[in-house]
Amino acid sequence: MAELFVQQLVNWVTLGCIYALLAIGFSLIFGVLNVIHFSHGDVAMTSPFIALAAAQALAIAIGVSGPVWLTVATCIAVFAVGLIGVILDKVVIRRFRDAPAMMALVATVALGIVIRELIRHLYPQGSNPHAFPRLASGVALEIAGVQVGWFTLLVVSLTLVLVVLLFAFLRLTPLGLRIRAASEDRIVARMMGIRDTRVFRATFFVASAIGAIAGLLFASYAGVTRFDFGVMAGLLGFSAAVIGGLGSMPGAILGGLIIAGIEVLAQTFVPDGASYRLVFVFLLVIGVLLFRPEGLLGRPVMVKV
Amino acid sequence: MSTHTSAELPGLGQAAFVAVSIQLLSAAFLYLILKAEGGWQVIGLLALLGAGFYLIEKRPQIADVVTASFSRVPVVALITAVAVVLLFPFAVGNNTYVLHLLIVAQLYAVLALALNFQLGSANIPNFATGASYGIGAYVSALLAINFGLSFWLTLPAAAIAATLFGFLIGIPSMRTRDTYLALVTIAFGVVVQQLLNNFTWTGGPNGLVGIPAPSLFGHSFASPLVVFGWKLPSQANFYYLSALLVVVAIITAHRLHSSRIGLAWNALRADEIAARAQGINVAWFKVLAFAVDAFLAAFAGTIYAFYVSYISPDNFTFLVSVTIMTMVIVGGMDNIFGVIVGAFLLTILPEKLRAFSDYRLLFFGIVIIAFLMIRPQGLFPQRIRSYGESR
Amino acid sequence: MSQLLEVNEATMRFGGLVALNAVSFSIGRGEVLAVIGPNGAGKSTLFNVVTGVYRPTSGHVRFDGIEITGHPSHQVVARGVGRTFQTSRLFSDLSVLDNVIIGMHTRTKTGVLGALFLPGASRREMAACVEKAELLLKASSGELFEQRHRPAGTLAQADRRRLEIARALASEPKLLLLDEPSVGMDEVETDALIADIRRLRTERPELSVILIEHDMRVVEAFPDHVMCVDYGSKIAEGDFATVKSDPRVQEAYLGKAAVHA
Ligand SMILES: Nc1ncnc2c1ncn2[C@@H]1O[C@H](COP(=O)(O)OP(=O)(O)O)[C@@H](O)[C@H]1O
Ligand SMILES: [Mg+2]
Repeated sequence: MAELFVQQLVNWVTLGCIYALLAIGFSLIFGVLNVIHFSHGDVAMTSPFIALAAAQALAIAIGVSGPVWLTVATCIAVFAVGLIGVILDKVVIRRFRDAPAMMALVATVALGIVIRELIRHLYPQGSNPHAFPRLASGVALEIAGVQVGWFTLLVVSLTLVLVVLLFAFLRLTPLGLRIRAASEDRIVARMMGIRDTRVFRATFFVASAIGAIAGLLFASYAGVTRFDFGVMAGLLGFSAAVIGGLGSMPGAILGGLIIAGIEVLAQTFVPDGASYRLVFVFLLVIGVLLFRPEGLLGRPVMVKV
Repeated sequence: MSTHTSAELPGLGQAAFVAVSIQLLSAAFLYLILKAEGGWQVIGLLALLGAGFYLIEKRPQIADVVTASFSRVPVVALITAVAVVLLFPFAVGNNTYVLHLLIVAQLYAVLALALNFQLGSANIPNFATGASYGIGAYVSALLAINFGLSFWLTLPAAAIAATLFGFLIGIPSMRTRDTYLALVTIAFGVVVQQLLNNFTWTGGPNGLVGIPAPSLFGHSFASPLVVFGWKLPSQANFYYLSALLVVVAIITAHRLHSSRIGLAWNALRADEIAARAQGINVAWFKVLAFAVDAFLAAFAGTIYAFYVSYISPDNFTFLVSVTIMTMVIVGGMDNIFGVIVGAFLLTILPEKLRAFSDYRLLFFGIVIIAFLMIRPQGLFPQRIRSYGESR
Repeated sequence: MSQLLEVNEATMRFGGLVALNAVSFSIGRGEVLAVIGPNGAGKSTLFNVVTGVYRPTSGHVRFDGIEITGHPSHQVVARGVGRTFQTSRLFSDLSVLDNVIIGMHTRTKTGVLGALFLPGASRREMAACVEKAELLLKASSGELFEQRHRPAGTLAQADRRRLEIARALASEPKLLLLDEPSVGMDEVETDALIADIRRLRTERPELSVILIEHDMRVVEAFPDHVMCVDYGSKIAEGDFATVKSDPRVQEAYLGKAAVHA
C-alpha cells in the first residue's frame, strides 16, 4: 500500500510539474495580452520534433551524438520554440488583442490546426509516433521501496529552477516589471504607455520557451511524441491555468498540480479510471468554474458601472 | 411610411426577374462547384465567387436591389426557392456523392443556425454544439436500436434530451463569461465525447451500428425514390428530409430574431449591464440560447444518425464544434443567410480540396485565420433590423 | 401616502473604500430630487445600489412599498425603475429604434414558444412596440426620430443622451434615474434638456425623477428637493437655496475645485 502510494506520489509530482509549466505559459500570455493563446500547447509540443531534428542534424553535419549533444539539441529546440512564439504573436495573435474574446479563441484554435499539420507535413513521416529518449535515466534514490528515477528529479528540479527564475525575472528586471505591470492592470499599464512590442515579444518568448521545456519533458515522460499531442497538452495546460486563475503564476502551478492529481487519483482508485480520467479532470474544471469563476487564486473582477 | 427604400423600389417585372435569376444562378453555381473535379476548376469557381463578393462590396446598391426585389415579390421568390430545392436532385441525377455532400451541408447549415443564436445573436461562446449534436444522434439511435422506436418518435425524444443538456451547460453561463465560459463548454464537450467513448451501452469507441432507416407511409428511406417515373437514389430521401429541417431552422431563426427574444439577445451581446437595466433577465436569456441551440442541433444529429446508420464518438469531437463555429464566423454572425452560405462553403470546399489530398486541414486552418484577420464580420455582416419596410 | 422610494442607511464598501456611508433619503410620487456632490462622492453608486447593480453592504431599499434590497437588476426595473448611465451605455450596433424597443422589454411578454408558434401575436407585439417607440422618439426630438434607422453608435453626444432617456422611459417607469444627463451638452442642448424634463413632468405627473447633476443651471431649474453627497455621506438636504448656502457643501465644492484648478 505504501509502495503504491509513493509510486503514485512520484507520478503525480512529475506530471503536475509538466502541466504547471504549460499552464504558466497560458497564464502569462493571457495576463499580458488578455488573449487566450489556445495553440500554446501545440507550440510547446513542436519542441520534441525540433529537438529530434536538431540532434539528427548535429549527427549528420558534425558527426556528434550522445547525451551532451542531445542536451545541445534540446537547448536549440527551446530557443527555436521561443522564437516561434514571438513570430506567431507578431503575425497572428497580437491582432486579436482588442477583438472579442471569441475571435482570438477561434483564431488560435485554427492556429493549432495549422501548427499540427505543418509538423505532420514537414517532419519526415510526421503522421507516425516518434520515439523520444529519456532526458535522464537510471535510479536516483529509493523511498519506501519505490525507485525514484533521475528523470523525476530532473523534472522537479527543472520546474523549481524555472519558477524561481521566472519570479526573479518578473520581479527584479525592468522588462519583467513592465510585463507584470502590463498584466496586473492592463488599463493603467496602457495609460502609462506600457504597450510596447518589447513586452509582448518577451512575454511570448518566455512563455513559449517554458512551454517547449514542458513539451520536451512530456515527450520524454511518455517516451514518444506525435504531431497531435499538442491538443491534449493544450487543453490540460489551459484548464490548469483557468482553475488556478488566469494571470496568476502561483495559480498556474496549483492548477497543474490539481489536474495531475485528479488524473493520478482516477487511474489509481477508480476501476477503469484510466479511460475516464479526462471525464474527471473536466468535471473538476466545470465545478471549479461554477463555484469560483475567477479560478482558485484569481482575483474576482467587479465591473465598475 | 418608408422613406429610403420606396424611392428605389424596382418594378414588379424587374423584381421578379432579379429574384428568379439570382436564385437560378446560385443554384447553377452550387451545381458546378459540386460537380467540379480537380483543383483548378474549384479554384476558378472560387475566384468567380470572390469577384462576386468584390463587386457587392464595391457597389452595395447591388445587394440593396437584390433584397428589395426579393421583398417586392415574396411569393415568386418563395416558389422559385422551393422549385430549386425540389428539382436539384433531378439535376444531380445518380451522383450519390454529390447528394451526400448536400445532405451533410444542410445538416451543418442547421447546426450553424443553431449555434448562431448564441454566437451570433448573443455572442456567447459555445464549443459544445458538437456534443448536443452527438446527444441527439445517440439518444435517437439508442431508442431505435433498443426499443424499436420509429424515427419520427425518436426525433422529439432526442430534441428533449439535448435541450435538457443545453440547459445544463447553460447554467454555468450565469456565472462565467468569455474565456471561462468557453472553457466550460469545451469541458462539457470533452466529457460527453469521452463518456460516449467509454460506456459500453453506447458501443464505446466502435459506436452504434445498424440504425434502421426511417420510413414514411410505407416508403423506406433506404430504397430509391421514384417520382413520376424518375428514379432518384435513396440519398434523395434524406436530401429532402434535411432540406425540410433547414426550412424549419430558418423559420425558427427568423421568428426568434424578429421577436423580442432576438432583441434581448442582441442587447446582452452589446452590453450586459445596460441590458439588465432594461429589465432583461440576462442569465435566463443566456441559458435559453444554449437550450435553443441544443434543441436544433439534436434534430440534425438524429437525421445524421439515421442517414449514415452508423455513429461513433469520432463524429462529435471538439473539432466538429470548432468547424460549426467557423461556419458562423465565416458566413456572418447574426445573419441567417450568411450562416447558411458559410455552412455550405465550408462543407463543400474541404471535400473538393481533396485534390490537394493531405493539405486539406492545413488549408482550412489558414482560411479561418485569414478570415478572422481580414474580414471578421464574415461574408455577410449582420444587418440593422427594418420594420415594415422590407415587408 | 407612503413614499415611492425609501433608502435607509445604505452603505456600500468596495474593499477598504466606503463609497456610500449610511445614506438615507426618500422621494415621493411626482417629485424631483436633484443629487449633487463632487466627483467620486458616491452618487452613481447610489443609483447602482437602488437598481440592484450592486448589493449594498448594509442598509435597505424600499420601492413602491416593497423591500428590494439586493434584488437583481432586471426585477427592480420590472417594478418600475428606469435609468440612464453616466457614460452612455447604448446598444451601439443596433438601430436607434431597436434601442427604444428593447427598453419595452418588461412591457412585452412573448416567450420562445410564443415567438415560434404564435408568430402573428409576436409580430403584432413588435409592430405596437415600433409605433410606441416612434412616438417616444418623436416626442424626444425630431432630429432623433429622423435617425431612427441608424446604428445608435453613430449618434452625436446630445442625441445619445436623449436616446438613453427615451429608452428608459420606454419601460413606463414610476421612477426615472438620470445620471448626469447634461454631460457633453452645450448650453442650448442643456436648456432643451431642462425643457424636456419639465415637459415629462407635465405629461406624467406621477413620474418621480432623481437627477444627478453637475450643471447648477439644471439643478436650479428643479430647486425643491436637493441632496448633496460627499465622500459617501449625505451632507445636506433641502431646497436648492438651503443646500447651496450650507457651509459643508461649499467646502466640499471649493475644496475639490481648488484641487482641480
Ligand atoms: N465597482 C467598484 N469597485 C471599486 N470601487 C468603486 C466601484 N464603483 C465605484 N467605486 C468607487 O466608489 C467611489 C464613488 O464612485 P461613484 O459613485 O461613481 O462617484 P460619483 O458618481 O459620485 O462621481 C469612487 O471612489 C469609485 O472609485
Ligand atoms: Mg458618477
